[in-house]
Amino acid sequence: MGLLEVQDLTVEAGGKVVVDNTSLALEEGEVLYLLGPNGTGKTSLIRSIVGYPGYNIVRGRVLLEGEDLTGKPMEYRVSRGLGLAHQLPPKLSGLRVRALLEAICSRTKCSADEIASALQIQYLLDRDFGRGFSGGELKRVELATLLAMRPKVGLIDEPDSGVDVDSVKVIADGIRALMGVSRSVLIVTHSALISKYIRPTRVCLMLNRRIQYCGGPELVEEVFEHGFKGLVRGDQV
Amino acid sequence: MGFTTSSRAYYLQIDQNYFKYLSRFSGVEIMTTREFVENRPDEAREYYWRLIDPARDKYTATAALLERGGYYIRVKRNTRLQEPILACLFLSTRGIQAPHNIVVVEEGAEAVVTTGCTIAPEMAGVHIGISEFYVGEKAKLTFVMVHSWNHVSHVRPRTAVVVGDEGYYLNYYANLSRVRTLQTYPEVKLGTRARAGVYSVILGLGRASIDYGGAVYLNGDEASAEVVSKALAREEARVVTRGRLHARGRGSKGHLECRGLMLSEKAYMLAVPELSSDTLDATLTHEASIGRLAEEEVNYLVSKGFKRDEAVSLLVKGFISVEENVFPPKVRGIISSVEKLVVEKSF
Repeated sequence: MGLLEVQDLTVEAGGKVVVDNTSLALEEGEVLYLLGPNGTGKTSLIRSIVGYPGYNIVRGRVLLEGEDLTGKPMEYRVSRGLGLAHQLPPKLSGLRVRALLEAICSRTKCSADEIASALQIQYLLDRDFGRGFSGGELKRVELATLLAMRPKVGLIDEPDSGVDVDSVKVIADGIRALMGVSRSVLIVTHSALISKYIRPTRVCLMLNRRIQYCGGPELVEEVFEHGFKGLVRGDQV
Repeated sequence: MGFTTSSRAYYLQIDQNYFKYLSRFSGVEIMTTREFVENRPDEAREYYWRLIDPARDKYTATAALLERGGYYIRVKRNTRLQEPILACLFLSTRGIQAPHNIVVVEEGAEAVVTTGCTIAPEMAGVHIGISEFYVGEKAKLTFVMVHSWNHVSHVRPRTAVVVGDEGYYLNYYANLSRVRTLQTYPEVKLGTRARAGVYSVILGLGRASIDYGGAVYLNGDEASAEVVSKALAREEARVVTRGRLHARGRGSKGHLECRGLMLSEKAYMLAVPELSSDTLDATLTHEASIGRLAEEEVNYLVSKGFKRDEAVSLLVKGFISVEENVFPPKVRGIISSVEKLVVEKSF
């Protein structure tokens, strides 16, 4: 039994099928990359895993440690140990980064200052969450919230898109820190820039709303070499 | 009637017949306005009904006729206080409370005045507070006012402030509880390089009808002002927020914000920001918005492990928060308490 299992999942959002009959298993200690071009359903898949409103599971199941979470609300799923770092978190006027981290840390017994230090966001602590942040700052702050949550499974949506090289290195440090507190990590990426710093244990390729193929870390190099379309094979899963 | 406080300077008034006041600060005088007018008439002539015309409206006229209490606070030249001067006005019986307050902060002086006005539950009352504040050259007055009324009280504060050259007037106002009607439109006049920061949090509950606004006149060259109002309307409350910046001085700058948060289908909000200028060389900006809490923001916080109620609390607290760093340390604690109470009462 995998730590997180997605079984034959079909998801609708806005009246359209955004994930089509796809399956995925995440084992203990894994760092799984979910690769795929923009608009292929990667974000929809991880949002439906955490039960984000607006993503309706019409078929299939989501299990965490064997517990069926499919019909459970997001609040419950998060309480069971799922955590999501959003691709584009909203700006929260008046809510300081420090206040948010401390509020999360009050549950998980972490230190907002230590987390801020790990992601080099100390200078952002007294600013409104997300307001006026650069792409890299936004990613680092968002990852900080996930680190503070100390989830069993961390789902990270596009940590390396729209950020400069220096930020990618810091984000990679943050993901390593997350790997120290979480049991598994799933990273969604379309550019795979983060792979220069974090080596995956396994890589899955998502195309046309479905996970088509999973393989070893070498799949990242194949994507770089052939592109996503060049990797669509006869042995699709 | 007993009253104790650890404050070293305060003014307490209950209805129209109990006054207690004290100043242990050197350089600070506190007395009733009546005593000030009767004992020092020549001096009082410079400050008493000088910024507000008794004939301005029926409320000022009523206050001028009745004049029931009110404080005179004088902070002498170059006296700098960090500790707040407290003022508390309490209405325990039916009727009209019409205090006339005068605060004079002389040249180079600094003071923090925190005031609370409240009423006994279920007592129908009218509060007409006349406030005339004089902030001298290079002086600073931080004035915090917290109102807590009941659902049958009517409140008509009338406030005017004049700020001398390079002076600074910093104001925080919060209405924390039910009020039947509240209408006020304080006016601040700024001299050369004078500044004003005017921040307010208005909570409309029940069937309250609130019309809260104010104007800042940037009369002097390079005067500047920031006016921010945050209003919340729950149940059947009707809340109007107004703000006006008028530039006369060259190089003057001002920013006005009117933000409204709707917390009920039956509430009503109106935001009226106004900018005007007599000079080519001024920069005035405004932002106004009315809306509900963004579901996406609530969901985001739930995805971070908060219960829905906790997420809403965090967002409401964020909405009403002001830039605390502009306030002296002693005031920040008061603002935090106010914000906590507003969040609790906004559900």
